[in-house]
Amino acid sequence: MSSIKVFARSLDWIVVASVAVLMAIGVMFIYSSGMTSDGQLVSTEYAKQIVWALSGLGLMLAAALIDPKRLPEYVSILYVGILVVLVYTRIFGRVVNGARSWLGFGDLGIQPSEFMKIATILFLSRYLEESAHERHSFRRFAISLGIVAIPMLLILSQPDFGTALVFLPVYLGMAFMADVSPRYLWFLILTASIVGVLTVMPLWQTLIAADTSVALRMFYEAPYVYYVLVAAVLGFGLSVLGYRLFKKRYYYWMAYVALVVIIGLGASMLGRKVLKEYQVMRLVVFLDPSVDPLGSGWNILQSITAIGSGGFSGKGFLQGTQSHYRYLPQQSTDFIFSIISEELGFIGGIVVFSLFMLVSVRLILASRTVNSPFQRGVLAGMFSMVLFHFMVNAGMAMGIMPITGIPLLFLSYGGSSLWAACIGLGLSLGISARRYES
Amino acid sequence: MSDFGPRPQGVPPLRIAVFVSMAAAVFLWYASYLLYLQLIKGSEYSVRAVSISRQVEKLPAQRGEIYDRNYSIPFVLNADSFALTVVPAEIPADLRDTVFAKLAALIDLPLDEIHRKIPPSHYRLFQSIEILSSVEQDVINRLAERIDEFPGVSWYSRPKRNYLETGSFSHLIGYVGEISKDDLKIFYNRGYQTGDIIGKSGLERQYDEILRGKDGRQFRVVDVKGRRVEPTSRDVEPPVMGRNISLTIDRNAQLLAEKALGERNGSIVVLKPATGEILAMVSYPNFNSNAIIARGGNNEYARLLEDPGNPLINRAIQSSYPPASTFKTIMTTGIIEEKAMALDARILCTGEIEVGGRVSRCWIRKPGHGRLDLAGALAQSCDVYFWEVAMDSFGVENIVDYSRQFGFGSATGIDLPGETEGFVPTPQWKERRFHERWFDGDTMNLAIGQGFLLVSPLQVADMMAMVVNEGVIYRPHLLKDVRDPATGTILSRTVPEVLHSSRVSPETWKLVKEYLRGVITEGTARYPLSNKVVSIAGKTGTAEVGLEDRWHSWFVGFGPADAEDPDDVIVVVSMIEASNPWEWWAPYATNIVFQGYFAGQTFEEAAGELGLLNKSTGVVGRME
Repeated sequence: MSSIKVFARSLDWIVVASVAVLMAIGVMFIYSSGMTSDGQLVSTEYAKQIVWALSGLGLMLAAALIDPKRLPEYVSILYVGILVVLVYTRIFGRVVNGARSWLGFGDLGIQPSEFMKIATILFLSRYLEESAHERHSFRRFAISLGIVAIPMLLILSQPDFGTALVFLPVYLGMAFMADVSPRYLWFLILTASIVGVLTVMPLWQTLIAADTSVALRMFYEAPYVYYVLVAAVLGFGLSVLGYRLFKKRYYYWMAYVALVVIIGLGASMLGRKVLKEYQVMRLVVFLDPSVDPLGSGWNILQSITAIGSGGFSGKGFLQGTQSHYRYLPQQSTDFIFSIISEELGFIGGIVVFSLFMLVSVRLILASRTVNSPFQRGVLAGMFSMVLFHFMVNAGMAMGIMPITGIPLLFLSYGGSSLWAACIGLGLSLGISARRYES
Repeated sequence: MSDFGPRPQGVPPLRIAVFVSMAAAVFLWYASYLLYLQLIKGSEYSVRAVSISRQVEKLPAQRGEIYDRNYSIPFVLNADSFALTVVPAEIPADLRDTVFAKLAALIDLPLDEIHRKIPPSHYRLFQSIEILSSVEQDVINRLAERIDEFPGVSWYSRPKRNYLETGSFSHLIGYVGEISKDDLKIFYNRGYQTGDIIGKSGLERQYDEILRGKDGRQFRVVDVKGRRVEPTSRDVEPPVMGRNISLTIDRNAQLLAEKALGERNGSIVVLKPATGEILAMVSYPNFNSNAIIARGGNNEYARLLEDPGNPLINRAIQSSYPPASTFKTIMTTGIIEEKAMALDARILCTGEIEVGGRVSRCWIRKPGHGRLDLAGALAQSCDVYFWEVAMDSFGVENIVDYSRQFGFGSATGIDLPGETEGFVPTPQWKERRFHERWFDGDTMNLAIGQGFLLVSPLQVADMMAMVVNEGVIYRPHLLKDVRDPATGTILSRTVPEVLHSSRVSPETWKLVKEYLRGVITEGTARYPLSNKVVSIAGKTGTAEVGLEDRWHSWFVGFGPADAEDPDDVIVVVSMIEASNPWEWWAPYATNIVFQGYFAGQTFEEAAGELGLLNKSTGVVGRME
């Protein structure tokens, strides 16, 4: 009995309360999004969301009760188990919005990829703890990246680009926390940036850039890109040779840069082959939505207009015009932030921002006094996940991030992402509550 | 921080600082951008939010037209038509019932139908719902005069398919319809959308991507409630018309074949063996594409589906039958090439043969054909000859091998959806399927094209094309070329493509042609195929269908048998699902097609000259 009391006293109620407030805002505006311009309610999503939110809170508290010291025993089976479900989904799942990402049971469905995020955080954290003795080794970097890459590629093939993307910052945050050698992490960051930029470059050049740069074309246009690639391979070979012969440090860094270029160019060529034009379009159109005002740009233009017209204090609950006249697409999921900002204005937006900051910063601050590397890893992973979801989703609504279709945690309509986030957050709360126990 | 020494308890403060400062940076960045959007640019966006927005209207593209082989006679054109749409939310609630009732009366649609298309859950929808897809110009005129009585109702031009030629043409051309949910799942990534018109069958389906064109868009500026602010025509992306196609079909030949077949279940194919072009392909019973795409076409479609005659089936490619004695063409080729029998060696036909204690009868019954060599056996279609050779020296493996060489058992690759591959049985197949040995009786059946062997009429035409071309079958096709709809210039044309080639020697082919000519000059088809305009060579066939006195009737032939230029030769195959002697008609039908095609005559003229007009009841009964 007393242990429950102690636990209740040490639980971070500020985080719990923040999440509860976010959920309440979410339900309110899912309700609002289901309302048409003349006050008729056409959607019952809000009612379902209430069920999701309450059960999510319950799950969160339940997860907080789990003893984090015993958690590592279960994480392998969890990781492999959900991975199997994910493979099954990839083959037999239901197609929603063009991605084979749903497992359906009658009317209900879940998105295993959401739960995969949590399982991956746990499993990766355990591996990083076990391999702490070789913290700067390349092997550690490669294996830990592999743990993340398997589910990530699987989700990418559904294809659900947004959800897959979340794995990258989660990995970086956790690897940084676990002291994986920074040179490898920089390698990953640089390569990923090159891939990202070069994949969208052709479309960006033709559609958005005011004057196209001829020099940049050598990075994506055949045959020039092959020349660049060959040059980089040559440079890499020579640098490796030089390092072998002369053991000079700068040869090492030359090889490093050359490899970044080789992998970046190669993967971006692959990316341009795999992605359809409309998919790339969704990634670049935020730079100038007016190039495709009726396609991908439409969502962004409408969302910015909705947010901008909200002003300082908003148009009032249920008074938004953009949303209730149905100009705003996917208001209850991807663009829920737009309707909040339209109706509650700058004040509402800042409240939502602050709540997310409160949750994520308190998670990471708790890790200062956590002894177990495994538990610290989980906190870092959850911190990265919450922050990245927030950054990409709210940024998309404001038109400063690409359209990737990932939800705003705790706010967007949908059960799977809410539950998964609640479970992950609950485990983190359990960790932070017990950090002073011996 | 150091890489050496004991691992620090907790985390280095610097690392935590990095995490916290990242969160803080995102917060500051986003908060200031939100401030910028809502406070600095806020008033600008508020104006935009209430004033204008752009809506898009679809401008449907015209589908490509379909022409005959000379690109002069149109088979399919487009007719003016309109689609009627309703934006439910624009109808005031108190007027809703009146508007619905008036609309139902105007367009002659049951009121229930409108309620079904606009259920109460849609009453608040600002999207337009299509009520009817083919409305005539005069209805639109009446609507336009009283448009103030019809809030929320509008229309747009949606050209309708007009099939100028129906009947036997409908099997080839097919018809169009609104894309189904299943098709949409498959074709989504090729740019199809809900409500698009797509080819549902025949060439309309096969060449949909050539014919469909690209819809245009018209943007209009509206206020936040969807009301038009300024009528503008500058933002128009014009639709791009689909490309026209020209078929290999010769309209005269098609009509000739259609009438020669008459109202008999079956099919006729006229093929140009030198290229694989199909000059005519008819199947009876048929249907009318216009009736399927017209209003209430679903009922027509349901009726066609239930019709016991299966009018939706194109019997020339979608049905398979035993080829019967026409198969002796392949047997003869094989026997000569494999030297399974000396050409002058004779076999005695007494009208019956006893194998394994079972008596099998030649079609002519007792006293039989007497002594026949190969040429005679083919001309008289003597079953006994082929039975003996098949069992004694030629063998079932050879029969299967030659059948496959002639393309039996595999698709012809014609550019129409849904063709059958037919079937060539083998001893291995029979053991797998029935757990039963392959008997001599099976070989005998196969040797005269009966039993399990199944082929489509087009495959039989291909068989004869192989003989005419001396060892090559070109892929049969209906698309001659693709044309620019505005100028008529050829954008691409179908080039002949070798489908099967055989290793049989040229000498053998010469003999086979000679023997097939013999079938007409002194064999079973002497009377029905007598013809002064063109010399014909070919083979009859009569397949038992299990019922007493009921046979499928075949004839496949080519002409002119003495052609100098292979380009002049055509192959004609007729297949009639006979149910009484009156329908032992295939040789006569073929003769009429040859006569009409080479003399440039209509059916009436050709049949008249051959003495077959209105004489169909008098023709001789069963002949092999």
